[in-house]
Amino acid sequence: MNVVQKVINWSRLKSPWVLHFNTGACNACDIEIIAALTPRYDLERFGVLLKATPRHADILLCSGPVTRQIEDRLVRIYEQMAEPKFVVAVGTCSCSGGVFNGCYNIKGGINAVIPVSAYIPGCPASPKAIMDGVVKLLQSLEQKEGK
Amino acid sequence: MFNAMFSMIIFPGFLFLAALSFLGEFIDRKIYARLQNRVGPPWFQPVADFIKLLGKQEIIPTEANQTMFKMAPLFATASVVTAFFYIPLWTPEAMYSFNGDILVVLYLLTIPTLSFFIGGWYSTSLYARIGTVRSLTQLFAYEVPLFMGILSSALLANTWSLTKITEFYVAHPWLWLMNLGGFIISLIALLGKLEKTPFDIPEAETEIVAGAFTEYSGKLLAFLRLTLNIEMIVGAALLSAVFLPFALTYNPYLDFVIFLIKLLSITFLISLARTVVARLRIDQMVNFCWKYLVPLAMMQLLLNLAVKGVMIK
Ligand code: SF4
Repeated sequence: MNVVQKVINWSRLKSPWVLHFNTGACNACDIEIIAALTPRYDLERFGVLLKATPRHADILLCSGPVTRQIEDRLVRIYEQMAEPKFVVAVGTCSCSGGVFNGCYNIKGGINAVIPVSAYIPGCPASPKAIMDGVVKLLQSLEQKEGK
Repeated sequence: MFNAMFSMIIFPGFLFLAALSFLGEFIDRKIYARLQNRVGPPWFQPVADFIKLLGKQEIIPTEANQTMFKMAPLFATASVVTAFFYIPLWTPEAMYSFNGDILVVLYLLTIPTLSFFIGGWYSTSLYARIGTVRSLTQLFAYEVPLFMGILSSALLANTWSLTKITEFYVAHPWLWLMNLGGFIISLIALLGKLEKTPFDIPEAETEIVAGAFTEYSGKLLAFLRLTLNIEMIVGAALLSAVFLPFALTYNPYLDFVIFLIKLLSITFLISLARTVVARLRIDQMVNFCWKYLVPLAMMQLLLNLAVKGVMIK
């Protein structure tokens, strides 16, 4: 791997910008995501910034099961993001559908619609778990790209 | 020829300015974080952000006007870098200077706002269009007090050249104290130009996503962010040249350190303002500029006229 690619990989690991998207959560997971971004936990230490537009974001933080209403929008937002992009499913619901699984209006977890890179279980997933999940995602990328 | 190329591209041109702007962004974000009782980003954060954006895919909306969308960031970056050449930095002379360069610098600093407008408008996103209209509305509010504040200092020095202004204030020490009011007015107006928090109405992320930048990604976004950072450094350098032309020792190394200190203290004031105040509405912003800043700048002009009358006697 040449030097330029190494530098780019390094910069990707050091500056993950996230976009938060509620795909039909009960709101508790969203509150935990917001809590993880507060000064108390200070994710900017790792270069994480919350972005409001999918064009700027690298990581899509999804919370909740995918409802039939949100399905098209989720796909659209995913496609609006620039490569390379990663999806993190926050909470049991977004991992598998959780307590809502089998409901008439639910498609299932996030992976029923778009590819997911990391799963963070918990109902709701605590801020520490979310941070741990994002850091583990970055570490796994480092190992994969370090080769 | 070679010398000119060197000074334009490397020192004190584009590369030096980019490095300085990364330092400025880091200091700004770090102070912002520390004032919020956070740890804040590591020192390489702005560089990492920039490289990451350079390496990302670039999406251009099919609806957008391709040429305009791509040209806008380049125009913006080029004009702020050009403005830097006319500002006296640590030496009392600028790289290039002529009588009237102060106006050229002020207008070159207006081009980024217009470029953001063009880029945002032609990206055809609704959020971007609302953002660009707001930034133009804001332009008409802060530009007048900024020009009046800066030109009042030039009026006292009786010249339109930035180099001559510095010379004048070096020859008349302590006279810069007369312009302290103008300095504060221009600093507040500069916040509007840089779209920093009390006046970040055009890119209010809680209302209109990211304003004019909504559709930008990859390299183009990297250059837009770089432009804003460079604009902050150039704006701070302009204010320090016009309003704080003291402590020039004619020792290049010492002067460089003093220049950095002046620059960073202005950056500090900008971050402080960003932390302690909340965003205004666009009508409140326009009201504030026209009702309070412009009359104050007017008073500064009158004061300088009076001082000049007394001095000439
Ligand atoms: S995982 Fe629990 S907290 Fe999160 S959205 Fe599902 S039900 Fe709500």
